[in-house]
Amino acid sequence: MKTSIFRLTSLLAGLLASTGLLAEGPRSPSMLANTCAGCHGTNGASAGDAMPTIGGLDKRYLANVLGQFKSGARDSTIMGRIMKGYSDDEIKAIADHMASQTWVPTVAKVDPKLVQQGSKIHNDAKCETCHEKNGQVQDAETPRVAGQWPDYTYNMLVIYHDVGAPASQPRKMRERVQKLSLDELKAVAHFYAAQDK
Amino acid sequence: MARLTRRDLIKATGMAGALGAFGWAPGLWGQETAPKEAVKPAKKPAKAAEPAPAKAKARVIVVGGGYGGTIAAKYLKMGDPEIQVTLIEKDEKFISCPLSNEVLAGERDLDSLSFTYAGLAKRGISVVRDEITQVDAAKKTIKGKSGKSYEYDKLILSPGVAFKWGAIKGFDEAAAEIMPHAWKAGPQTALLRKQLQAMPDGGKFYIVAPPNPYRCPPGPYERAALVAHYFKQHKPKSKIIILDPKDKFSKQALFQQGWKQVYGDMIEWVPGAGGGIVEEVKPKAMTLVGQVEEYKGDVVNFIPAQEAGALAKLAGLTDEKGWCPVDPKTFESTKQKDVFVIGDACIAGTMPKSGYAANSQAKVCAAAIVALVNGKSLPEPSYVNTCYSIIAPNYGISVAGIYELKDGAIQDVPNSGGVSPLEASARVRALEVQYALGWFRNITADMFT
Repeated sequence: MKTSIFRLTSLLAGLLASTGLLAEGPRSPSMLANTCAGCHGTNGASAGDAMPTIGGLDKRYLANVLGQFKSGARDSTIMGRIMKGYSDDEIKAIADHMASQTWVPTVAKVDPKLVQQGSKIHNDAKCETCHEKNGQVQDAETPRVAGQWPDYTYNMLVIYHDVGAPASQPRKMRERVQKLSLDELKAVAHFYAAQDK
Repeated sequence: MARLTRRDLIKATGMAGALGAFGWAPGLWGQETAPKEAVKPAKKPAKAAEPAPAKAKARVIVVGGGYGGTIAAKYLKMGDPEIQVTLIEKDEKFISCPLSNEVLAGERDLDSLSFTYAGLAKRGISVVRDEITQVDAAKKTIKGKSGKSYEYDKLILSPGVAFKWGAIKGFDEAAAEIMPHAWKAGPQTALLRKQLQAMPDGGKFYIVAPPNPYRCPPGPYERAALVAHYFKQHKPKSKIIILDPKDKFSKQALFQQGWKQVYGDMIEWVPGAGGGIVEEVKPKAMTLVGQVEEYKGDVVNFIPAQEAGALAKLAGLTDEKGWCPVDPKTFESTKQKDVFVIGDACIAGTMPKSGYAANSQAKVCAAAIVALVNGKSLPEPSYVNTCYSIIAPNYGISVAGIYELKDGAIQDVPNSGGVSPLEASARVRALEVQYALGWFRNITADMFT
């Protein structure tokens, strides 16, 4: 079923291209995704501090989030403006390419006391329910958080805490984050950053 | 799904409508129950690239080890390790001009902006220190100040900009030692910083902005803001006046709003039509002669008009305005076969002359050369620019541009990109500074590691 949809789409794209209705030919996944390296690092392995590593994230998750930036369902400072520059097919290509890169864990220095505190919160606030194996597990809706830059994780948690999460965040997660203090969120960020070290 | 887990129940609380346009529900990618993957992280850094085998597929030389050249060299090697890549650069280290306004503000030092080429050498790129003075496109050979000659199959020039000394009467290279441009980072930056530190409270700092087109459109206006940040703390009675030949500038509304919000009336912008055009410079008298008035400054930052770096002109690649016309799909010079020009020096449609643009163009160029060398069809290009400006340590703004090749020209993708909103919270302004710093970390890592 999936294969024939894709075949139909590429047939259609070919037809459109031949009639000149598309700008030019399709742009390759690496051509599209390599432009991201200026902010997210070569192959999506961020050099920090507030920019997340995206190379090696789940391709479904990436495609969803990039699509949400494009539509505005997910708030952003610059990502929305950027993703409006791509078609849905191109977003999928970018997500595919980034997902196939190797995840490189952060080299950020972490505070061992915060890591310890964060570990307790991860379990007490039941983050482990979805962010299993200390945040290593990822799927279409759950990003890998283990080994992510702590400034990024903290910034995101603060947004969920203060401003409210994007529509796709489970309500239960928002509730649990909002019950924590900012200091506790920082500890959680350090905890996840410390994984994979 | 065989069994509902607690995880599934929790996810269900937020899932309505969240799958969005893509509908990546479990199952669409061909997995009924998405297995729980613990993705193994990379424990060791990537192995250093092997040097090119004795018989290289092609020899590509990149001249200029800045925002464009380093990326061209690296992505060529990444794209095809069998290509012999040589990077020729005249300086031992690279000092980034982006973020150097923070040095003027006293927020960082030049060391934090300095990078070596060791990382590129580790990737199997031959890094040569030399200054290229001759390009013989017929013989496909270039020659350096060292006396050495280098042969190429493809040549990429990323020479940056050159200053049009003498475009305004009285401003020559010697004048830059009194009225620094600080438009190439290094000694000029240090000189301007020293002058600003020595300036008495209540003094006047003039910035003479350049005419279009020039490298780094928002640069002069970020400079005004960051120097204001320094003045506000150390010499608050001082004034900053921008004399501009232009009547508008990059991110203008945002800058003027930010200047006012953070610095009150410290910064004054004089547009060309309002007396901002400088007709003559008298460096020893620290005087700028306008069309009607004369301006005397305690410190003067004179940013001259610009054109493509000298090497581009030497190689016969520039047009009558002093910039290099290129094929937008490959960045090959329209004046010389097998010679490519990227970065500030080239004419790239609606892309600004910025570090990120040079990075983007270098990748398109590298991908094109990899295709050419391997007899494949040219890839369809994608280009991006993102530019951050720091108005204060907790107040940043940005512009993003996404481009495509359409009707033979590089054009903005409709309804995309743009500048930060005028209505933004303090949180957003502060975040954009974090992202500016993150941009710097990542783009330099992209360039040098």
